[in-house]
Amino acid sequence: MSLDPKEPPRHLGGELVIPVMAVIFTLYYFTTIWNSPWTAQVSAFAIGGILLFVCALFFIKMVGYLQRGEGRLTFGNLFSYEDIRSGRIGLLITTVGFCVLIGDLGFTLTTFLFLWLSMAILGKFKRLGLITLTATLMSLGGWAVFIWAFETRFPRGWFENTMRMVLSNG
Amino acid sequence: MGDTSTILIEVFLETIGFWWVIVPTIFLGLIVGGIPGFSAANTIIILMPLTLAMELQTGLIFMVSLYCAARMGAGIPAILVNIPGTAGAAATPLDGYPMTKQGRGQQALAISFVASSLGGLLTTLIALAAMPLLARVGFYMHSVEMIVIMLFGISLIASIAAQDMVKGLIAGFFGLMLGAIGADVVYATPRGTMGFLELYDGVPLIPALVGLFAVSEAFIIIEKRVILTEEGQAAMENPTWSATFEGVRETFKRWAHIVWTSLIGLVIGVIPGAGASIASFVAYQQSRTFSKTPEKYGTGHIEGLIAPEAANNGVTSGTLVPLLVLGIPGGATAAIMLVVMQFHGVSFGPSLFQQEPKVGYGMFMAMAVAYFIMILTILPLSRYMSRVTTVPTIYLAPMIISFTLVGAFVPREYMFDIYLALAFGVIGYIARRTGYHVAAILIGVILGPLLETYFLRALKKSEGDISVLFSSTLGNILWVALIVSLVLPLVFDRNRKKKAMVIQ
Repeated sequence: MSLDPKEPPRHLGGELVIPVMAVIFTLYYFTTIWNSPWTAQVSAFAIGGILLFVCALFFIKMVGYLQRGEGRLTFGNLFSYEDIRSGRIGLLITTVGFCVLIGDLGFTLTTFLFLWLSMAILGKFKRLGLITLTATLMSLGGWAVFIWAFETRFPRGWFENTMRMVLSNG
Repeated sequence: MGDTSTILIEVFLETIGFWWVIVPTIFLGLIVGGIPGFSAANTIIILMPLTLAMELQTGLIFMVSLYCAARMGAGIPAILVNIPGTAGAAATPLDGYPMTKQGRGQQALAISFVASSLGGLLTTLIALAAMPLLARVGFYMHSVEMIVIMLFGISLIASIAAQDMVKGLIAGFFGLMLGAIGADVVYATPRGTMGFLELYDGVPLIPALVGLFAVSEAFIIIEKRVILTEEGQAAMENPTWSATFEGVRETFKRWAHIVWTSLIGLVIGVIPGAGASIASFVAYQQSRTFSKTPEKYGTGHIEGLIAPEAANNGVTSGTLVPLLVLGIPGGATAAIMLVVMQFHGVSFGPSLFQQEPKVGYGMFMAMAVAYFIMILTILPLSRYMSRVTTVPTIYLAPMIISFTLVGAFVPREYMFDIYLALAFGVIGYIARRTGYHVAAILIGVILGPLLETYFLRALKKSEGDISVLFSSTLGNILWVALIVSLVLPLVFDRNRKKKAMVIQ
């Protein structure tokens, strides 16, 4: 039973994600330095050792919460219906798409597609005119400032190459 | 002395005459400083042909103004949208962003601008006066002393951990472990790289910064229509000039705090290899340690914003000292300045001030004038910049993600860095949603590899004898200072609690 009935039980599953990641990564890290010279080991064993100790303390604390009924092994603080309603899942998918496509399509085109689709998802496909205008201005503005004016080494694609040829031929 | 004064006055008047270079460069610097990945160093590299084509004086004024403005510009997105433009501004959002959410974004920007300008101006003047003395600081700072300075910065993790000690320590040490990824500095053994060649040089800082702060923040802010709280929205509906002046007034009231924390920045800036990120964390930690109200830090406390901003601008003048006096650049931007000056045939060391005093003093004077002009030009902008916070999150979040993710690509031009930023974004999102502090993770990623490098260097020199850590007088003084700064807050806290109990 939870000690305070008014207080909802903690989502301990979610709180355990970072420590579990930390433990897995630390153990993996140790395997990569096991046969290394001491110079490669000393700092990592010291830091990793402390991290494993602190994580162990945290796990013990979590067991205490579970036994007292103050928390459950749920992930409500990480995943909920709100993620779908707010468009967070959609934004995550478009972000992954942005990362995958930017190497081939280049900065301007990918940014336009990403901004348009993400804003449309988050805005529940309302005010598409304003969204199209914003996405166009931001992507073209980014191209003009960073690629055309300052020649920053952004990923380049069809649009950037065409514009370069158009501008260089007057 | 008389000659030096005449030169300084001459140089000052000449530099003021270059306002037409300084003013546009300030705005360029504010933009490049505000976007992660576009540091002053990168911009100067991009514009190197232009800089080399300029006359030496014009080129130096351009570079110095850009450097100062970029440092200040990095604090603007840190305050308004919780995204530091550079690692040097990573401690700024700790108190700057809560102020914005409360609708005090305009005040926070004014505080940041005034603290940065005053901190930069003050340390420039001090550096000018105490250059020979300051140049020696770099000589006395060996690996042992550097370890203690790093620990000053890392002890901020303990301060952050004050809310939930175990979670804070997990975040901090997880960051230190992630910072340990890469080939070891002695035998180049790959460690924790998961087979990625791109990680052999360690975890690149910009993708970590972009992911932990920008990407994760973008996924959080979409829960609300705008990033402001309800009170914040009400406060931002009618922005007034009085809010800007309130920020200016509040900063001037804390002038002693600016002096103290900018001096921390100056001293750390003088040490080659140290930098604004270490300085801002150390200044924040020291400010909190000796504060009468440490519990207010992290909730939108003015001193918590002044400390990192004054310190990271104090670093700018500090990095010029070893460059000009010893010919050792204190950071990436200083190294580029060195290249440009060498191209123009300028020699470094004490002879610089004898043979070409106008160049040596001119760089500091350019910095002082740039900071002075910056106060006048950008303070009025705080009212308009803070309007960013009223932009609906459905537009703001995708813009943050696209422009910062591509910023992660710029420094190394690896597509891998964009994916890495996304991975850090996921870690940052999980951390934020489950009560772990992303700043603690970032402190670890920044300071972890540096700490290891100096630790190994110290051990190598002593052939593995750990007592080397307590072998130098300056190092021992710093150890005592570190222990005092960790213990004193506990004592103060106990006294405060006792007093509170007596009053009750």
